Amino acid sequence: MTEPRNPGMSSVPQTAPVHTDSSSAAVEMDPVEYTLRKRLPRKLPKRRNDVYVNMKTDFRAQLARCQKLLEGGGHREICVHGLGLAINRAINIALQLQASSQGVLQLAANTSTVELVDDLEPEDPDEAGEPMTRTRNNSAIHIKVFYPDPQ
Amino acid sequence: MTEPRGQMKSSNGTSSTVMDLQSASINPDVSSSSSSPKFGGSNFKRVSRTEDSSPCPIPGLAADILHMRVKEGSKIRNLLRFATARMQGEGKDGNGTSLRQVVFTGSGRGVTKTITCVEILKRKVGGLHQVSKLHYRTVNEVWESPQQGSPDITMQRTVPAICILLSKDPLDPQEPGYQPPQTPTEDAERRRALLRPAQSPSSQHTAKRVCPDDWTVCSTQTPKV
Repeated sequence: MTEPRNPGMSSVPQTAPVHTDSSSAAVEMDPVEYTLRKRLPRKLPKRRNDVYVNMKTDFRAQLARCQKLLEGGGHREICVHGLGLAINRAINIALQLQASSQGVLQLAANTSTVELVDDLEPEDPDEAGEPMTRTRNNSAIHIKVFYPDPQ
Repeated sequence: MTEPRGQMKSSNGTSSTVMDLQSASINPDVSSSSSSPKFGGSNFKRVSRTEDSSPCPIPGLAADILHMRVKEGSKIRNLLRFATARMQGEGKDGNGTSLRQVVFTGSGRGVTKTITCVEILKRKVGGLHQVSKLHYRTVNEVWESPQQGSPDITMQRTVPAICILLSKDPLDPQEPGYQPPQTPTEDAERRRALLRPAQSPSSQHTAKRVCPDDWTVCSTQTPKV
């Protein structure tokens, strides 16, 4: 949260989805033989005023953190990000912030698609079946919560 | 989370009993509260659920615009089959032209699905301008008491909602929530950046990609394994 901005590090993908073997789409796969392991979403750039909403932390804590950034932190705008199930929570936080500001704060929402990678690890390593990865897409929302410039 | 929030009042005619369960000023995580609440341990049955017909908060919309209402249980392929056909001009409307604009709305648990639909449609139909708006929606729920004779309970609940306009014609870029169309080159570059192998490919992840980069096959749902 308070660490300095480090764009060099954050733009490098942490893990490597290696083979872009498009012909492997037809590969037969027995789901019983594999364990599904979800990788973390690709590391996203994070400024001081970026808030990534998750479903683990208490809702009030995440709301309070945003409030602190806007009121105590002196930020004119913050960006609330939510992925998948957390989209709802991100919207909720943004709307709560707006409501508690008596309508001073404004919201600007953008949507995007995030590619996620799952690892498929064979249950029995001796058995034929190499580790595979599978990509899927999930929706994300990015809400800018800001004080509009006085004009 | 299973606690009901918001205001309850008796719906039996005279609405004499009005209970405030919680102050409406802060309404933590309204979305996740749609699982069946328990009133003092007894199981109430939900009789009806009506949403207010709040207008879409996007300014300057045509009245006859195609409005896709995404519900929690809506099938994405059904919604998209209809919407893409209209937008791509296969199903011509009365004037013989394809649609220029479409609005997607969804609330509560349907919000994620709404965004997913929009994201897929943006890929299928290129060059769409987008404006997204967030707001709260009021939902009225009527709950039936398990005991005979006791009054039904009406509950008012606010759920987060989203409203997204996609347009083939340019929209005001100054409008909060505006997104310009994603150019194909940009998209391809982003994709390439995603797929670029890291400097030290770990041997553990020398793996095959099972799923092609096709939205229609890879839905955003978590696959069952």
